[in-house]
Amino acid sequence: MGLLILRRLIATIPVLLLVTAGVFALIHLTPGDPIDAMMAESVDDSVKRQLRSELGLDRPLHLQYATWMGRLLQGDLGRSIRNQEPVIDNVGRRIKPSLQLAGFAMAISLLVATPIGILSAARRNSTLDRFGTSFALFGICMPNFLIALLLIFLFGVTLRWLPISGYVDPMEEFWDGIRSLALPAITLGLALAAVITRTLRSSMLEALSEDYIRTARAKGLSEGAVIRAHALKNALIPVVTVLGLQLGTLIGGAVITEYVFALPGVGRLVVDAVFARDYPLVQGVVLLIAVGFILSNLMVDLLYGWIDPRIRHR
Amino acid sequence: MATILVAPAPSPSVRARRFSTLRRAARARLAPFGAAVMLLAIMVALLAPVVAPYSPLKQNLDRTLARPDWAHLMGTDNVGRDVFSRVVYGTRVSLVAGFGSVVIAVLVGGLLGLLAGYAGGRVDNLLMRVMDAVLSFPPLVLALALGAVLGAGLTGVVIALGVVYTPTFARLMRGQVLSITAREYVDAARALGAPGWRIAWSHVLPNATAPIVVQASLSVAFAILAEASLSFLGLGIQPPAASWGSMINAGRGYLQQAPWIVFGPGAALFITVVGLNFVGDAIRDALDPRLRA
Repeated sequence: MGLLILRRLIATIPVLLLVTAGVFALIHLTPGDPIDAMMAESVDDSVKRQLRSELGLDRPLHLQYATWMGRLLQGDLGRSIRNQEPVIDNVGRRIKPSLQLAGFAMAISLLVATPIGILSAARRNSTLDRFGTSFALFGICMPNFLIALLLIFLFGVTLRWLPISGYVDPMEEFWDGIRSLALPAITLGLALAAVITRTLRSSMLEALSEDYIRTARAKGLSEGAVIRAHALKNALIPVVTVLGLQLGTLIGGAVITEYVFALPGVGRLVVDAVFARDYPLVQGVVLLIAVGFILSNLMVDLLYGWIDPRIRHR
Repeated sequence: MATILVAPAPSPSVRARRFSTLRRAARARLAPFGAAVMLLAIMVALLAPVVAPYSPLKQNLDRTLARPDWAHLMGTDNVGRDVFSRVVYGTRVSLVAGFGSVVIAVLVGGLLGLLAGYAGGRVDNLLMRVMDAVLSFPPLVLALALGAVLGAGLTGVVIALGVVYTPTFARLMRGQVLSITAREYVDAARALGAPGWRIAWSHVLPNATAPIVVQASLSVAFAILAEASLSFLGLGIQPPAASWGSMINAGRGYLQQAPWIVFGPGAALFITVVGLNFVGDAIRDALDPRLRA
């Protein structure tokens, strides 16, 4: 297992290097002068010159990249133009709501998708199955922001049960925190639940048609035990793969969800930075998100090996 | 000895097979609905000036936030513009963004995949690592970052989404090239002296099309969703031009007084994406029954 982790880590190095090159190139893709794009026309030329030399934009490209990489390796992701604080501090302040949202959404999606997926497969072609497949289709085709607005309309505006924006830290005030995260987490969780339901249903159907299921039934096991101990375990492998593939969608969804519900998370930070044309902040946050995404994918890969011993020994 | 390989005209059996593919696609339960939605969306986009009863930009300050009625099928927005007319014009933006970005991705990705699969070695390694790097960014975040540097607007969005979807097609094409070039008929063509480009053109491409078409048809729906998301965030099509995403964003402040501003374009977006998904599923089932879920 240790060797597997090491091998995977080494394999990510060239990709990480290319990712940094891509993020570095981002600022240079701007049509026209990036400094003009970042600052208003009225800003004094000397201020622009100072920013240009601070960002190193007045030097040759390869030197800029070398300096930028050198700083990066020392953990310096640059500074935001807007608030002059290091990118890492900006992200540090915003990471908690994002992680809480992701965790809460993941829990909701598993709680919703597991029973629907299993029952859909176990009672194939029943009304329940039709409900399950319709739910999956609905969740996959419905954009996050529309689910969010439907929930706001229903639970915030019409029924007035839950707050529609703002954030309270559940670690400080538990119930108010949960209430403030409820609608965003349901929004994000439902989209993910749809994908998990669809995958779990089809992998359960496949598992249920295997010979070992017939054997398990033949030896007199109850249907519940057959599903729990034999079908579900094997059906979980594709679900984990899909969860890994969906991480990107989950992060994208979090960006939109945080924007709609005014949650002060990393996703909202990206959107705000993009609007403010705060390119160093955009670069820093996008790089951190990409590294986080690569590492989570690596973890999913390892989880995959842990669930299925056949992969570990390959 | 020079051997001229002439591509044979499609034989009756090939033609019959093509029709049976179409027939299989049409037989899928929900495909007719999907096809109808897609055709309707294309017609509405092409005939927008005829279909829309009002100009999408014309304000009527005497009739702001009006409920849906016969004069305004989806009501009016906060400056009295007809929501239905704006939804009609928004169809153009969605379809151009959806199909445009996927066409870019198929062409660029397909070409890169073909190159990687054929060249092998270092070229293959480099190209595939670059594709891995692009895939290392969550799609929407990458599109956001690219949108930020390319500037808001339809062109920026189409290019950004094209870049996002390129690696999928590059990988797919490379895989196809590797598996097809290992087949015996390619060995035979090579032994007969066919040059590389001819093998690529007459043997690899036709056989690699099916999975590319399937992926492309499914990607269009997601590209439309992505464009709407970017426009919703304010990075896509800029107001006052009509795009479903930006209309929904503009309407969310009036959710209590005039929910139709949000739900009109929302319904159009949802129905279009569902329809395109059905079409994509039907094409997948027809071209490759093994992939059926």
